[in-house]
Amino acid sequence: MTDAPSSRLRVALVDDEALARAVLREYLTPMEDVEVIAECANGFEAVKVVSELHPDLLFLDVQMPKLNGFEVLELVGRDVAVVFVTAYDQYALRAFEVHAVDYLLKPFSPERLADALTRARERLRRGERLPAQELVAAARPQSSRAGRILVRDGSRVHVLPLEKIDYVQAQDDYVCFRCEGKDYLKDQTLTQVEASLDPGRFVRIHRSFLLNLDRLARVETDERENRVAILTDGRRLPVSRSGYTRLSARL
Amino acid sequence: MHPILARAERLASYLAAWLVVAVLLAAVLTRQGLTWAEALALLLPICLVYGFVCLSAWYVCRATPLTTSGVMRVLGSSGLAAVVASGVWIGLERMWTTVLDALPALGVSTAQYEAHEPFLFAAGVLLFLLALTVHYLLLAFEFAREAERRQLQLEVLAREAELRALRAQLDPHFLYNSLNSISALTAVDPAGARRMCMLLADFLRDTLNVSSRDQIPLAEELALTDRFLGIEQVRFGERLRVERHVDAAAAQCRVPPLLLQPLVENAVTHGIAGLLEGGVIRLDVARQQGRLSIAIENPRDADTPPPSRRGVGLDNVRQRLTVMFGGDARLETQADPGRFRVELALPCFTDD
Repeated sequence: MTDAPSSRLRVALVDDEALARAVLREYLTPMEDVEVIAECANGFEAVKVVSELHPDLLFLDVQMPKLNGFEVLELVGRDVAVVFVTAYDQYALRAFEVHAVDYLLKPFSPERLADALTRARERLRRGERLPAQELVAAARPQSSRAGRILVRDGSRVHVLPLEKIDYVQAQDDYVCFRCEGKDYLKDQTLTQVEASLDPGRFVRIHRSFLLNLDRLARVETDERENRVAILTDGRRLPVSRSGYTRLSARL
Repeated sequence: MHPILARAERLASYLAAWLVVAVLLAAVLTRQGLTWAEALALLLPICLVYGFVCLSAWYVCRATPLTTSGVMRVLGSSGLAAVVASGVWIGLERMWTTVLDALPALGVSTAQYEAHEPFLFAAGVLLFLLALTVHYLLLAFEFAREAERRQLQLEVLAREAELRALRAQLDPHFLYNSLNSISALTAVDPAGARRMCMLLADFLRDTLNVSSRDQIPLAEELALTDRFLGIEQVRFGERLRVERHVDAAAAQCRVPPLLLQPLVENAVTHGIAGLLEGGVIRLDVARQQGRLSIAIENPRDADTPPPSRRGVGLDNVRQRLTVMFGGDARLETQADPGRFRVELALPCFTDD
């Protein structure tokens, strides 16, 4: 998927403002080694374009409706290189500085854009990817927690409100969110999920399970002295010794 | 906290005053046959202790404030408290007499003390009433200082609100995005770029101009918000639509400057900008007799949690309304999942 530096770079422009996309297109069109393959007015379109057209690089606005730039990065960051674009956002700028991420500040000059392109090609050649999870966490205002979970399913994006999630289960290299009777797989570790959620609401009851406290009906002890969490829908999840300690502290 | 007990140096001078009272009372008693030694041996200790008893006058003052209690009530409770306190004072005198009697080594004769009890009782009542007066004075003094502090606080609040309003109009996000729009328009629509420059220049000039004034006619504030919305409409295109219903009779009502601009800005940033298809911002202004009512309503994305920053702009507007109109103005919000509405109700004053 990664092209050699000499070939044409296939880019997609993601910004909810038509004029902001127009500047990028204006600057990029004369460049012979760059091809603008798509323009997206929101994050959902961006995910679709990455899945279907496989661009090499996204110019990604930070503030957008529904999905912001960081959330788009979290969903597609493994498949595409990203250059962030923003007018001003103190949290985003801090996150960029901390993780040495290249970004464009609106309004920017053609020269500044060319520099960003050169560096992006460099990163593509080395196969570097942005640390999506860390950036998402760093760009969140301090003390605020994720309000929802985003899961990508090919070109579609599922938005899972936290109150609808029953529990999260670790499965090999993935985590599985149980939500309204369906399972949603996401490429993330359970520890990362745990860190992004409110510890007063989701408790790690076991090495492999993170439980939404609202779903807990009671805790039972089975015949072999193992503790088991009984959920409101009757489902049984194992509770480890340390998990029980954490659970008791919350109840 | 008791104003005398609260500070060590106040307590020291208060007790020193009681020592002086003890000496004065002793002087009176020496004229009625007691020796200085006998008089002081009695009065110095019991005056000091009575000094502490008289600190309770504070609670009498607090329970019957001069401003709200009737004369009879003040006199009644003062008199009663003074008699009770003086009773305690005579009790002290008797206890101390017993102690002195038990210590003949001191060589103080207590035989004549009892004869002076009526005089001492009267002195006790008067002294307590004096203490009461001092406490009432202290209370009035503290009240005046508190009022002064509150006034100062209100002024600081007004100044702060002004500063914040000034900072808000220079919202970096708004400015940089507007400049970016101009940068985009220069290539595709030079005339549009120039129009946008003018809009931005006018808006900045307006805000600088009005923010140095205490109040402006509503018409000016509305013109300023129109400019703001005009700029944002270039940025958001079709996504931002505005419906205005403005009662012409309201145009001359005086309002604090930048009253509506932060609210309209919120409606764009936290409402329209979060919606894929955008939406309509409604602005309704009506005047009925002496009252002005303004409502700003915007749709918002029901799936996005409401921002915490919104509170700051609203608090600022609320504070400035309080500074200008006191309790006569109201700001209320209604937050539904897909809609946000702010309502202002304030008195309408015009120049004529």
